[in-house]
Amino acid sequence: MSMNGDERSIAAAPRSLWSQGWARFRRSRFGMAGALIVLSLYLVAVIAPLLTPYDPIAQGDVPRMRYVPPCREHPLGTDKFGRDVFARVVYGSRISLTIGLLAAAITVLLGSIVGAAAGYFGGAADAILMRIVDALLSIPRLFLLLTCVALFSGSIWLIVILLGATGWMATARLVRAQVLSLRNLDYVKAAEALGAGGRGVIWRHLIPNTLGVIIVAATLRIGGIILAEASLGFLGLGVPPPAPSWGQMVFEGREALMSAWWLSTFPGIAIAVTVIGFNLLGDALKDAFDPRQIA
Amino acid sequence: MRGFLARRLIQSLVLLFIVLTITFFLLRLAPGDPMSRYYNPDFSPETVRSIRESLGLDKPLAEQYFRWIGSFVRGDFGVSLRYRRPVRDLLAEAIPNTLRLTVTALALHLILGIFLGVLSAAKRHSPFDRVNTVAALFIYSIPSFWLALMLILVFSLKLGVLPSSHMQSLDTEGFSALSLALDRARHLVLPAFVLGIASAASTARYMRGSMLDALREDYIRTARAKGLPESRVFLKHAFKNAALPVVTIVGLSLPFLFGGAVVVETIFSWPGMGRLAVDAIYARDYPTILAINFTVAAIVILGNLLTDVAYGLLDPRIAFAGGKKG
Repeated sequence: MSMNGDERSIAAAPRSLWSQGWARFRRSRFGMAGALIVLSLYLVAVIAPLLTPYDPIAQGDVPRMRYVPPCREHPLGTDKFGRDVFARVVYGSRISLTIGLLAAAITVLLGSIVGAAAGYFGGAADAILMRIVDALLSIPRLFLLLTCVALFSGSIWLIVILLGATGWMATARLVRAQVLSLRNLDYVKAAEALGAGGRGVIWRHLIPNTLGVIIVAATLRIGGIILAEASLGFLGLGVPPPAPSWGQMVFEGREALMSAWWLSTFPGIAIAVTVIGFNLLGDALKDAFDPRQIA
Repeated sequence: MRGFLARRLIQSLVLLFIVLTITFFLLRLAPGDPMSRYYNPDFSPETVRSIRESLGLDKPLAEQYFRWIGSFVRGDFGVSLRYRRPVRDLLAEAIPNTLRLTVTALALHLILGIFLGVLSAAKRHSPFDRVNTVAALFIYSIPSFWLALMLILVFSLKLGVLPSSHMQSLDTEGFSALSLALDRARHLVLPAFVLGIASAASTARYMRGSMLDALREDYIRTARAKGLPESRVFLKHAFKNAALPVVTIVGLSLPFLFGGAVVVETIFSWPGMGRLAVDAIYARDYPTILAINFTVAAIVILGNLLTDVAYGLLDPRIAFAGGKKG
């Protein structure tokens, strides 16, 4: 029995790091606020049809219904096609959240592959891959994105792929650094000394111990991805209309800024709240699970 | 030091070469002939062939690549498909305008960021520090184009105190040198603020952390033990050491600054590289797009090189860390 108990406590040690992290995270007021914002946004995206009776895309009775200021029936007013702005903001959350999550997943995937390859193989492969990362990072993201958008004209899936394909470099650096530092740790050396093969080491030790850091970093990056998507939308190069993309809505409101201030204002607030939510969540997760602070 | 310089210079040139290669193959990755959009349906097959020949598109890929690299190195970026002018001339007009905007924004970013960060560290956990923390988070998360529109709405449209577009008033005839300078400065306020404020927020956070780290060092305890006044400990000993890493922030913030310029220049009709890039993209003006990418990357790489050298000069440990002594 006592043997079992000892075994359990050894096996439980890594999990207790996680539970320590969660305890730290739950104590963070900013982190909980961020989690609340993000969860509410996903809820809004899912139950959008229950929140508003209006169609976000179909045009209404345009001459009568266009540019209606915020009122009882239309709490955020209507746009130049007589569409309810509240409905468009609510349905727009689906686009921003989907793009943010999927593009972040792509950056994790690409960044992990490149970073792990560079860190594990080292030598020439490392040098070449990291110089490509440096070169891509020296072209400002928006320039890179715009160039790609110009070359491959767009749908929402293409935007997702491009946002992912232009955002993986920082993740690659992070994963490479993690793999390099973990490779020389005693428990990895011990596993190798006990006869574990390279693949076993990577899957049993390197990947699980890197995954947390990667996911935390990815959470922190979703906000930036949503901002980048909104910037593309604002430049008229994002998700093609009439889909209710927040950036595009701010852009469309620009021409009537003086007479219909609500068109640009509310979608912009939606973007800001979403990005704040993900940044709060990501910051708190980073603080809670940063290995340097666990020590 | 000389070895450090040479090493960094070679690294920068390699990076530029990789940027060139990536942009070239990005263009070839695109579906179809890069020029196909510009072929008139009335063109005979012979005309199309002669256009392709004049652009070198009939040559093998490797030859196109080396020709292209060669012409870029010579500073020949081709002719803009949209403006029918040499891209080099377009860039020569746009670069100074973008630099005027970005340098002002950078100055604002550093002054505001360092000042607020140091003040936050001095009054840590005070209400001021808390407000600063929350404000930094908000500003960092607000989309810059939205902030720009809201500022235009308030300061240009409602109050009418600041211009909402262009670099100077349309009619400046009869302006004295002073009033022209003032006019330009007024046009610079909103765009430079929008461009600089987001980076200022993150730098303030960074500066605060850096100050607090420095205040925990042994030499601070020594300085206090010597009986130096707290203000002197704070500003002389802690600040000098804490401000050093901010030099690297300048280098790191350059891509964000130029990326942000795309949006800001578009909103404020600022005739710089960002606006040129957006216009080129609407028109699928490939030579201009690629030349701008290359130029911006070159400026960023050069900026990084300069900040590294400055850091190496300010902190000799960095220059010698590579193992080769200068």
